[in-house]
Amino acid sequence: MERQIINKKKRVFSVEPNKIPPSEVFRRKYTSHLVPALKKLNMNKNSPQINQLSVKHEVDMALALSAQEFSWSRFLLQKLSSSNNPTTTSSSSNGIRIQERSGKEGGGDEDGETEEKLRELQKLLPGGEEMNVEEMLSEIGNYIKCLELQTIALKSIVQDTT
Amino acid sequence: MDLSVLERVNWLQQQQMVSPDFFEILGSDGREELKRVESYLGNNNDEMQGFRHYETIDGCISRTSSFQMEQVKNNEENRVIALQPKRKTEGKTEKIENKKKKIKTEDETESSMKGKSNMSNSETSSEIQKRDYIHVRARRGEATDRHSLAERARREKLSKKMKCLQDIVPGCNKVTGKAGMLDEIINYVQSLQQQVEFLSMKLSVLNPELEFHINELSTKQFQACFTDLPEAVSKQPMMVDASSFPLQQHGSLDYSLINSNQTTILSSKDQTSSSWEIHSQCLYNNLRTDSVSSFFSHK
Repeated sequence: MERQIINKKKRVFSVEPNKIPPSEVFRRKYTSHLVPALKKLNMNKNSPQINQLSVKHEVDMALALSAQEFSWSRFLLQKLSSSNNPTTTSSSSNGIRIQERSGKEGGGDEDGETEEKLRELQKLLPGGEEMNVEEMLSEIGNYIKCLELQTIALKSIVQDTT
Repeated sequence: MDLSVLERVNWLQQQQMVSPDFFEILGSDGREELKRVESYLGNNNDEMQGFRHYETIDGCISRTSSFQMEQVKNNEENRVIALQPKRKTEGKTEKIENKKKKIKTEDETESSMKGKSNMSNSETSSEIQKRDYIHVRARRGEATDRHSLAERARREKLSKKMKCLQDIVPGCNKVTGKAGMLDEIINYVQSLQQQVEFLSMKLSVLNPELEFHINELSTKQFQACFTDLPEAVSKQPMMVDASSFPLQQHGSLDYSLINSNQTTILSSKDQTSSSWEIHSQCLYNNLRTDSVSSFFSHK
């Protein structure tokens, strides 16, 4: 690692890029996307109403940009860059629906239940509805990891500014 | 090495693995039968050659099948069964039960046949792996038609993926069954998304103050980097604009955000990919306690 420091001026990339754990890479990318975007946002817009949505937009954009090797991120990026009105990736109404349904289906058809749940999961994942089930399941794993890292990053930014 | 069936039989005979009974059983008609089978499959068909050897001696091999070969195989089996006397089918079911490639049986002819099939197995299994067939082994009592095999392969893939997800999502180990696990996963994803939403709302509220704090943010992070590095790097880059961070990301600077519990885990350079699990666990614990209380306080 010391050699890397010495050669820092000559080399932009580290000698062994694999040694940087992927979570670190993600977080660096994420904060580097988000923080300047927020700064720019701050300077440009003054009305508080638009602020919330645009912050959400920037947050999602930062997520999509920092995890570009996954298909859900490409979908998210596409959605964000095409739409002017930023849409939220989650909605609280989903949660209520799930709980109701699981209450109703006591002894329902097992396969049907699983299928429905898989469909719900598909809706949660950006772009999930266009994938088949196997692909979706592997993408969900990546998505969960990135969401976790995103929450850590956001938390730390929020904590630092308070 | 693709030997034709007869060549292989002859080879084995030379190695004295095959008892002369074998040919008796086959009979002279049998040999012709084998020849006919070969020609049916086509000698020049390179793709199927691997399978041909596998399949023709397949009378005592368990009823495995692959998708591409389905049609041919059924005909194969019928022929090969016709070749052999009834007692050979016992060996077949035995093999199905064990589902192993090397089985020791008392019966000499059975063992010899299995010896041959083992050889063909080992030879062709490498070919099979190269060719990327979906090779599913039928268990005893289960249907071997195309649809149920496809169904079973699909289900196995799904369960494998569910197991991976079980490792990622905390709390999934206690729940058994697909539905329960899926429920857990759905709830977890939803809670994560809600947290992100909540945090971004908080951020938007704090946004005016953000600009003042951004420089502080950058200085704190650089200080964290400095403490990690053995060398003394100059403190001048502290006031560097946030946009220049990407340049230094790929270097050896450990650009990690300060966060009470997590920095110790996350900024360590010895971190391996297995620590994803560790940190996500503690993240989950933290978030569980934090987010619940913060949700309530926010409302």
